[in-house]
Amino acid sequence: MSAALAKVLCLQKGALLKQVFVLGRAATPRESRLCAAGDALVSCHRHYKSRPTHGIGRFKYLLPKEPPKKRKEKVQMKEINVGTEYEYGDVNIQMTSYDMCLVEHFAQYVHKLCNRLAVKVNESYAMPTKTNEVLFLEERGSKMQLDAVLTTHQRVVQISGLSSTFAPILLEVIQSSQPEGVHLSVREHTEADFKSRLKSRPELEELLAQMN
Amino acid sequence: SSRLPQTVLFRGSHWQTSLLAFRASLPVRAQPKKKKKVDPRREQAQKDRMKKKIKKLEKAAPEMIPIEDFVAPLKYSDSNRVRSLPPLSFEETERRVLLMKKWCLFKQKQDKAEKKAIQTLVEAQQEALKELRLESEELYQAAIRRDEGLLPFERDGPNYTPPIPGYDPPEGKCVDITKVYTQ
Repeated sequence: MSAALAKVLCLQKGALLKQVFVLGRAATPRESRLCAAGDALVSCHRHYKSRPTHGIGRFKYLLPKEPPKKRKEKVQMKEINVGTEYEYGDVNIQMTSYDMCLVEHFAQYVHKLCNRLAVKVNESYAMPTKTNEVLFLEERGSKMQLDAVLTTHQRVVQISGLSSTFAPILLEVIQSSQPEGVHLSVREHTEADFKSRLKSRPELEELLAQMN
Repeated sequence: SSRLPQTVLFRGSHWQTSLLAFRASLPVRAQPKKKKKVDPRREQAQKDRMKKKIKKLEKAAPEMIPIEDFVAPLKYSDSNRVRSLPPLSFEETERRVLLMKKWCLFKQKQDKAEKKAIQTLVEAQQEALKELRLESEELYQAAIRRDEGLLPFERDGPNYTPPIPGYDPPEGKCVDITKVYTQ
């Protein structure tokens, strides 16, 4: 009888709320069948949803939420350069040297200094290493002899929101603790700087040149 | 008979059936008409193919160049390279511990001095700006503005020794042998 009643209710396409359907799940089968009629258009013939065993085997809702997989970033942020406080936009502090440990330690020091002085650090990354072969001409002879293979390491600390009154103070402090052999360069972040970190794509460039 | 065209006597090709229709007798319909129809289509097809290729390549996200610094060379991960150090004497360990304590104290004093210096700099600057504001609002506003000439800032680190006067460096050159990564 209840099945016939359910079918009759299904035939009437009433506009009962779906909330009724949700509440009906916890109720007894007979009651929930009446409530299930709320979803009349969709599934009045699926009785198992009204059974108490509905949802058995579900466990994904118990697991901790995983953050969505990040895709490789293509966009870069650029802050408004002129504001009421007259702040600087993204600024790159680049440290270059032949000595890797020295340059790494200096980069760590600059990063910690910026943290301490409440200057927002966007990123702190390493640029690809450059290798140079130094050849010198022998005194008696015309052959070039290999002198050394030097590797140039570069670390970049990117800060933003530096106020115009504090910038010279920060520069002064960094300069005073600059170690020997480390070349310091402070400049604004540009797209070209970002692109220099990416691999070159000769095929794409060739095709684009052909197109134009 | 002199009025008849030369083709009566020498038939240029077997296509030349009629005498009067000289030029039309050649297979005119085949080659040149093809150029008019199919060439723009072929060019269009070529362009579409190139655009497809470009789209496919652009879909792949650009990769970062791997940093060689962060990859330890395999020869250093050899297990044979383990040093066996001799045990240290009591005096040596004591000396080292006391040295470490002295170094910590030295660095702490250095750090405190730096923090104090920064604080005095900032306070002096704030006071100066306050006084400037009292003096003239215009100059204060100009001082608050950011300095455009500050930013492309370059400085070489200090050197251990000054340059040797009259040093004659040997001739040579620098060759860049960085590995180029392509995607």
